[in-house]
Amino acid sequence: MQKKLFVLFICLLALTLSAFAAVKDPDTIVNAEYGAPETLDPHAEWDNASGAVINNLYDNLIKYVGETIEFEPMLSTAVPTPENGLLKDNGKTYIFPIRKGVKFHSGNILTPKDIEYTFERGFLADNSSGAVTLIIEAVSGGEFYTVADWFEAYAGMAYSDAVNDDREPTSAEAKAKLIGFYNEVIDPLFVVEGDNFIVNMKDAFAPFLFIIVKYAGWGSIIDSQWCMANGEWDWKADGWWKWHDRTPEESALHMADAGCGPYKLAVWDQTNNMVVMERFDDYWQGPAKTKTLIFKTVEEYSTRKAMLEAGDADLVLVDPIYRYDFDNNPDIEVISGHPRAQVTSIHMGWKVQETSEYIGSGKLDGNGIPADFFTDINVRAGILHAFNYDALIDDLVNGLGKRVPTDLPEGFLGFDPTLPVYEFDLGKAEKAWKAAWGGEVWENGFKLVAMYNAGNEVRQTACEMLKVYVESINPKFQVEVLGVQWPTYLKATREELCPLYIIGWVADYPDAHNFFSTYYHSNGYYGKRHGGEYNDFAKEYLDPIIDVAVKETDVNKRIEMYAELQKILLENYIATPLYMPQGLYVARKWLKGFFPHLLRSSGDRTPEFYYAWKE
Amino acid sequence: MLAFIIRRLLILPIILIGVTLLIFSMIWMLGPERLIGTYVKSPEALKSEKAVERLIQKYGLDRPAPEMYVKWLGNVLKGDFGYSNVGRQGVLQSIMELIPYTFELALYALIPVVFVGIWLGVIAGSHQDKPLDHGIRIFAIIGWSLPDYVFGLLVLLVFYSYLKWFPPGFLSDASMKVMREGPWKDITHFVTIDAILNWRFDILWDAIRHLIAPLLTLSYLWWAYILRITRSSMLEVLRKDYVRTARAKGLSEKVVINKHVKRNALIPVATVSGGMIVQLFAGTVIVETIFARPGLGRFTATAAVTLDYFSVIGAALFFSLILIVTNLIVDISYALIDPRIRLS
Repeated sequence: MQKKLFVLFICLLALTLSAFAAVKDPDTIVNAEYGAPETLDPHAEWDNASGAVINNLYDNLIKYVGETIEFEPMLSTAVPTPENGLLKDNGKTYIFPIRKGVKFHSGNILTPKDIEYTFERGFLADNSSGAVTLIIEAVSGGEFYTVADWFEAYAGMAYSDAVNDDREPTSAEAKAKLIGFYNEVIDPLFVVEGDNFIVNMKDAFAPFLFIIVKYAGWGSIIDSQWCMANGEWDWKADGWWKWHDRTPEESALHMADAGCGPYKLAVWDQTNNMVVMERFDDYWQGPAKTKTLIFKTVEEYSTRKAMLEAGDADLVLVDPIYRYDFDNNPDIEVISGHPRAQVTSIHMGWKVQETSEYIGSGKLDGNGIPADFFTDINVRAGILHAFNYDALIDDLVNGLGKRVPTDLPEGFLGFDPTLPVYEFDLGKAEKAWKAAWGGEVWENGFKLVAMYNAGNEVRQTACEMLKVYVESINPKFQVEVLGVQWPTYLKATREELCPLYIIGWVADYPDAHNFFSTYYHSNGYYGKRHGGEYNDFAKEYLDPIIDVAVKETDVNKRIEMYAELQKILLENYIATPLYMPQGLYVARKWLKGFFPHLLRSSGDRTPEFYYAWKE
Repeated sequence: MLAFIIRRLLILPIILIGVTLLIFSMIWMLGPERLIGTYVKSPEALKSEKAVERLIQKYGLDRPAPEMYVKWLGNVLKGDFGYSNVGRQGVLQSIMELIPYTFELALYALIPVVFVGIWLGVIAGSHQDKPLDHGIRIFAIIGWSLPDYVFGLLVLLVFYSYLKWFPPGFLSDASMKVMREGPWKDITHFVTIDAILNWRFDILWDAIRHLIAPLLTLSYLWWAYILRITRSSMLEVLRKDYVRTARAKGLSEKVVINKHVKRNALIPVATVSGGMIVQLFAGTVIVETIFARPGLGRFTATAAVTLDYFSVIGAALFFSLILIVTNLIVDISYALIDPRIRLS
């Protein structure tokens, strides 16, 4: 009897265990993330969480081939190249033959007119928080970032003078100019001829295709009929300004879906912080493998971890510091080490504002630094050789980082792994410090403020690490580590108040220009913050290369130009990367189909859901 | 008493205006260039020369603080509390939508806190220095010493990670699908009650499973607190002359405790209850975050982190209102518990 009971017990146990090991709800993938989407309007989004949802709802003209950054057709049946004649006029004209038979979620059929509407709508809407600025920059050949600026150049009057707060033209003349701007400037940029959609760029801009390819939410193609029926721009020249630069929530697409992607929006549940998407069975590439996608916002890591372990989430966001939490769990798959399109760097302001509160006495008297402290190459060398890069990568990000020679991630055009990286060498650092400012730095010492955005522990420890090493070189050297809130940080960096700070950059598109222009161009996002003397240097040595390279359509010539640029950067201690973060994917083993991608929103830690399934 | 209530209610708007003025001033002191952080999720969005000015102008952040405040107050009087970036809708709509979730949690937490806390306090007080008293006191010390954040994570670890009994979240995906697609009617907006009214006991059970761990986290600290207050108060009352008299009259201990001690011992409990109710609501910030539940606590925390100022002000107003109303109820309850107290 006892034996029978024992056998029964074992059978029940096995049944119970097998029930736990079985795939939970095979038709649904649950992704638990930290952030919630900001908006589902592709022309207003610029954050990971929104991009991750939009990627499933919409398709673009072209897409990447698997993990690579090579292109293949999507809604366009061909990728424009000089060879196939679809990229001509020295890179100024792109021709996209549009696929037939593609259905939107609304049931409407995609036509080239939808593509034209999409681009014009995005341009004219130009949401000031959104990423359409990238397309504007590209199509204007790098001349403008906003439609308002472009309008001003066309009309000779500021947009804010032409349209009042009630979105009405301020005068008949302003109205005529606004209408003329659409008819003469915007409309000719995007044209439909037969089955082709044509983009007539103002000037060549080599990374254009990277800016509109799949994974760039702002390049999503939207259903023009749905939009117009739901109160979006009526496609008329007269009145486009009513839809210009609205807040995201004013858009009909903010919480809706007008795409033709593999999933359609079921609900964006604001209360429960989740987005539910259902498979679109008429998807032109065939239905997705999984019926339902649920993206949940779960702020607390312990909760996400517990959900994953219990099988209530199939994949979760895990920070590098928790990388080894799942090593002993046989049900969890961890993939790490794949590159991310991101670089974290240490920035040195060549000319900080004299009024900055972060330069102490403003003199080389041991109680501060001069505003132009970093104009001396030896100061920059002294900092860059006093940084223990390997310790940062091994200890702070658990090995999920890789050194790169310049502020350009691995895998990007122009990336050269043979270039040297700065050594952590206190001897070299000391030599540089002794030579800095004609020996005055060594003699008098300094007090330098190293800043990071409060809450970012990696950056905080990196600053503290720098403090330890720099102060060990000379007792007269002082480094004060200062964490400031993000808005203050934003303001201080923008106003050229920070002498030394750590911040990163995530690629908008996988082209070297996005990094080189941002970091080093005298007008780049970070470049211009280095101050006047840096700008003079950049204008003379760096800008000419960056400006020419971005218009060059011959890849080999571009690589040569970027090689020359990087040589200058390294010789002058201008490139200041700390590390390139690497990806970390943590999911249940039953989730299949993951491949990382540099540019997909959260592509280092979530699959392309169209190809993902559970078994 | 009516005059007292009316007087207190008349002060209400003044206090609320004071609260908004304080918070508004603190937020506006940050300056327009910091406040645009609310609307910029990617630093690249500020790439253009005029991007900052454009955003400041778009959201009217450059106006003087008094002008902004008066404008905001004017809108509030019209029922418009501004747009909540966290709620992705009007602040008032967001708060109204989230109130049932937080109320349901806090009210259900209140029941065990009050009844179990008082019950344990009475037992401890009437068994002073006996093993039962010691056991209850240890229970209280642990509860009072453990931060709710730590206790919540422990509960999550034990009851979800290991035992797999009580999952986080509000409901399972399957239940939410039923609520979304029907058949389902939101009647009271309290899911446990609505589940009964909709005759969906599967959803009721699901809701209870999701409620137990947060309730335990939220209420443990206050169990400990209430039982300590009750115990001390009991001990104090037990030493009173009239208790000795009651015992001398030959009344049973049960009657002495229930009729003569408990009622008088509850006055301090009622005093702290007001603050406790507000603290219970404040506790939802942690509990809702750890257990990924929707509610005002999580809403307020997210709003504060993202500098969503309209939401922060709205939430502060709501919590102030709760505090004021609760205090009023406590004052009134004094008179009901102890007829010697007259509100004047």
